[in-house]
Amino acid sequence: MSMLSRRQFVQGSSLVAATLLAGCGSSGNSGSGAAAPAADGEYTVVNEGKLTCISNLFFPPFESMNETTGEPEGFDIDVSKSLAEHMGLEVNWLPSQDFDTLVPTIKNGGKADIAIAGMTITDARKAEVDMSDPYVDSNQSIVVKAGSTETADSLNDASKKIAVQGGTTGADWADENLPNAEKKRLSTVIDAMSGVQSGLYDAVVCDLPVSRYQIKMSYSDLQIIEEIPTGEQYGIAVSKDNPGLTAAINKALAEMKEDGSMAAIENEWFGSAL
Amino acid sequence: MSYDKRGKAFGLHALGVAMALLLVLLAPASAFALTTNKATARPNENGGSGVIGGLATRLTWEGTVEEGEEVSSVTLALPEGGTFDGSTTKITVLEGLSRAQVEGTATPAGTQLSIEFSTPITSGYLLRLEVEGMKFPADGGDVVVGGTYVNQKGEQTLADSKPIATIANTPLQALVASLDEAPWVQAWNSNPFLGMFFKPQLLATAFATLVPGWLLCLLIVVIAYPFAIALGLIFALMKISKHRILRFIATLYINVLRGTPLFLQIYIMFFGLPMMNINIDNNVLGVIVIAINASAYLAEIFRAGIQSIPQGQYEAASSLGMSYFQTMFDIILPQTIRRVIPTVTSDFITSYKDTSLLSSVGVMELMMFAKNLTSVSGNMTPYVAAAIFYLIVTLPLIKAVSIVEERIANSERGGGPRPKGKQAKTAGVAGAKLSELAVHAEARNDADVFAPALNTIPSGLASEV
Repeated sequence: MSMLSRRQFVQGSSLVAATLLAGCGSSGNSGSGAAAPAADGEYTVVNEGKLTCISNLFFPPFESMNETTGEPEGFDIDVSKSLAEHMGLEVNWLPSQDFDTLVPTIKNGGKADIAIAGMTITDARKAEVDMSDPYVDSNQSIVVKAGSTETADSLNDASKKIAVQGGTTGADWADENLPNAEKKRLSTVIDAMSGVQSGLYDAVVCDLPVSRYQIKMSYSDLQIIEEIPTGEQYGIAVSKDNPGLTAAINKALAEMKEDGSMAAIENEWFGSAL
Repeated sequence: MSYDKRGKAFGLHALGVAMALLLVLLAPASAFALTTNKATARPNENGGSGVIGGLATRLTWEGTVEEGEEVSSVTLALPEGGTFDGSTTKITVLEGLSRAQVEGTATPAGTQLSIEFSTPITSGYLLRLEVEGMKFPADGGDVVVGGTYVNQKGEQTLADSKPIATIANTPLQALVASLDEAPWVQAWNSNPFLGMFFKPQLLATAFATLVPGWLLCLLIVVIAYPFAIALGLIFALMKISKHRILRFIATLYINVLRGTPLFLQIYIMFFGLPMMNINIDNNVLGVIVIAINASAYLAEIFRAGIQSIPQGQYEAASSLGMSYFQTMFDIILPQTIRRVIPTVTSDFITSYKDTSLLSSVGVMELMMFAKNLTSVSGNMTPYVAAAIFYLIVTLPLIKAVSIVEERIANSERGGGPRPKGKQAKTAGVAGAKLSELAVHAEARNDADVFAPALNTIPSGLASEV
């Protein structure tokens, strides 16, 4: 019926130039270089001995780039390092890419092993890729300029511009709960917040941990007007062709919870174990 | 403990001001142990924001368990025609912002969906149900989600949700649905390349939804360009002026604008101006940025065009006693305009394409629409549709440029088609290309030696070079 629903991301992301080439040549295994189905407990990685990760690196405190070195840093980066350590691999971070291209890239395979990007586990995403067990809980929030008198109700109006990050659960929430407002899909949460700060947009809908952190660290002239309990949980995206890797990651996540390394990372980025 | 026993008035009092507001909405019904907070549906219209009946979507229902209550099961009910069959339900129970460990099983049965909890949900908890794959009645209209729940006293009626606005199927959706069914479409889409870049269903959706963005692109550049030409001409004249200060201002303006990316200029204008409390409509600001940026390039094109007119013409004009301005406006500029038309048209094409950069700051132009559609469909086809929309404008213009170039080539040689058409034409084209090249080279500022050299050659000879 609804062939074009977001559940049915068609194979492969052609944002990766390689897809185009691979797609032309072979129809059977487009771009799935290292994605042969693995036997139980075994998995393949794109780069030998390395856990190759992708993300959108403009999502603090989960992922961001260090302002002096340009190295990725954040909660998810530490989780990825710890994961790799538990799996006996080295961690390898690829450059930042747009959030809405992460799932197609992982699905397509061949470029990265996992996307760890503050990504909520949703049915739509699970239809495209495997999601690991949840490793952190999240909620949504509405952020406006400090002193603004907007409410969730007043924002649901044709004259209001709501900035969201494309492909996120925040964007879905705005589509569903603020149907009358004009939604602006941007590449990053930072763009969205800067836009609200400068008055370009009326509000941002984004994940609560991110808005809290950003308001504390850099956007002191913004405020959260509504904390929206959604109870969503972040998971790590792995190609469906690589079930062994999903299992290994789930095992490593369980170990990290067991041996306290997850609590240590939570402590570092959120000030307390969650 | 039920409010029913104590009467509605007391219930209102006990619940306090906030709850009172909620209850006013639910006025005639008695107080509820499980308060319906909201019911919303995910838009499932391709390239739109409507909730279409008869097509699978996701219903999100939220309710709060009130003081002293225990809820052991909930049943949601849709009006006749809607169905929960084939749906999957995600049950989330929250206390404040933290998740609570409550298991539940959902059983869909036609218009009903019953959810049993392993342990009853107690007061203060928020129950959140996400029903993926359910369908609203196919004929559209406002849909109210009702139902029942079971608390410690037995089955109770659930308050109706606020109505969810749904629409019946649109012709576009019907076309998409028929494409979904067609065997050739399925065969076509099974090829990864064709399915990713030329998916027929998405092409249909994209052509319909991208039109407003395309019109905005055209509008922006068409309004911006006359301003760009006027500004460009002013700065061109300033740059060849005798006054050092005017020359300096023009050089600074042109070099800064040509030396920085348009993308950066857009960011500065869109994020910077509002911070100085200068609030201009996004589309108007788009016009301004494009006009200013294009004016710098046009200034260089005009300057090169003016300087490509042989020095002898100035001397001839001055020997006739013409002033500088007379010379400029009666002799030099009319010739310049003819020479720069192809280059200016090329620049127009560039500016038209550059409007795509405005999508990064939320101007709802062509790229923005394509990006939106791509981010919800995970498919590249909307970008291909956008490319076609750009080409509809640029291809005819490119053709026009080559025709104009040819015409100018003929006239530069000193006349129209000759009896020996072919030969004359070829030579003429070569000559015009050369002067055209000089304009380009001048505009790029990397062959200043070339143009003066050309200017010294009498125009008759130029075609032989």
